[in-house]
Amino acid sequence: MSNDSVLRAQHLTKRFGASLVFEDVTWEVHAQEVVAIIGPSGAGKSTLIRCINGLVPFESGTLELLGYQLTGGGRGPSRAVLQDIRTRVGMVFQTFNLFPHLSVRANIMLAPMEVKRVSRGQAAHRAAELLAMVGLEAKADMYPKRLSGGEQQRVAICRALAMEPEILLFDEPTSALDPELVGDVLAAIQQLAKEGRTMILVTHEMAFAKEVADTVVFMADHRIVEQGPARQVLEHPQTDRAQQFLQRVLRPGAPLGGASPASVAGGAER
Amino acid sequence: MTVLWHTWVQAFPAFVGGVRVTLELTGVSLLIALVLGFLLALARLSGVGVLRGAATGVVEVIRSIPTLILLFTAYYSLPQIGITVSGFVAAVGTLGIFYATLYGEIFRGAILAVDRGQREAAQALGLSPVTSLRTVILPQAFLRILPPATNQLSNLIKDTSLVFTIGLADLMFQAYNAGASNFRYFDMFILAGVLYFACYLILSKLLARWEMNVQRQRA
Repeated sequence: MSNDSVLRAQHLTKRFGASLVFEDVTWEVHAQEVVAIIGPSGAGKSTLIRCINGLVPFESGTLELLGYQLTGGGRGPSRAVLQDIRTRVGMVFQTFNLFPHLSVRANIMLAPMEVKRVSRGQAAHRAAELLAMVGLEAKADMYPKRLSGGEQQRVAICRALAMEPEILLFDEPTSALDPELVGDVLAAIQQLAKEGRTMILVTHEMAFAKEVADTVVFMADHRIVEQGPARQVLEHPQTDRAQQFLQRVLRPGAPLGGASPASVAGGAER
Repeated sequence: MTVLWHTWVQAFPAFVGGVRVTLELTGVSLLIALVLGFLLALARLSGVGVLRGAATGVVEVIRSIPTLILLFTAYYSLPQIGITVSGFVAAVGTLGIFYATLYGEIFRGAILAVDRGQREAAQALGLSPVTSLRTVILPQAFLRILPPATNQLSNLIKDTSLVFTIGLADLMFQAYNAGASNFRYFDMFILAGVLYFACYLILSKLLARWEMNVQRQRA
């Protein structure tokens, strides 16, 4: 284990009752690395990242995460450990899950104030900074339902960032968006990648994965089939399963390389 | 018609006292019902099996027993085992506990109806279960609680008339009494009905306005 590793999974296995979600996942993520997890539906991608912040327990294997040694099965980690992990690992959901009863600003301020006991003034200041970063400073006092899906997702990203997470997880952040709204969200994520944040994205945006991710993990049939440098996995997949998948999702003629977020918005597979 | 007005005007002072008692009974019972109901809902939603089972048992038993039996048990049977309570305490205790089972189910349903993603989002931000309940779940459950809670409030106001049977001077009692002295039962019960209706109307309008304000604020 190299010493800048923030996450190391060994033989991780997850079942829901009798049905297998994923098994034997062995995987390492380094600080400042951007990982894209790709693969067909039902491969266990979303559940895998949910295991990383303890939303979902796993049955066997070990997970070294932010200095904690977690083992599968049994009663799982203590509530205090789970809470510490969740405070340090941010999560952005496919369906945004903003709090509808709170204004945009209050959505972002809630966790820092309640969990980290940040003062109201400080939290508001940080919320304004984050909203400015994603171009939504004018919407601070609005309620989520007044916002488009793309705007809601960018607010959700701000909400996660407000906790200053060491790792940021994205669970198909653009899958619930209208195609013309995808670009702004991807641009925001790309900006975070440039800042050197450690991020793990489950995504179906192959062009985006190629541009932003350092590493790509290809999951299929309940396991990691292939992983490696993004360009290598996406352009020269070694396994038949990955080749098959990529051929199917990349429409003929769709450019893979050099996509900017704007062109991604128009030309990505969806 | 003038006769009706005349008897109404005569009886009115006593009725005002009756309305006061009715509203006091309603208010105190409601307070007990809300607090106990909330605890019952939490118990039924908790991960502790024993707690969940006990709360479910309490709810099922109490809501299947006629309120009058509960009231008589509190007022007439408890003294038999050495616990004597005043009529008012017996009444608000009975109504409070009975309505706690109804309000508990309203709370439980409203909490369960909050989208699972909301709980997950709160969890993922590191909010503790209690903080998540207080800042994320309950504020959203609130709008689902108000309409059915208002309905039950109308039932509660009407059910306070049961205390007539243990001699508390509520609105029902005053109407019966006035009728017994002037033999105009018809006029007296109509007046009582009008006053019950007025109480309900005012309270439900206030709650509806509250609901509207919250909704408008979150728009």
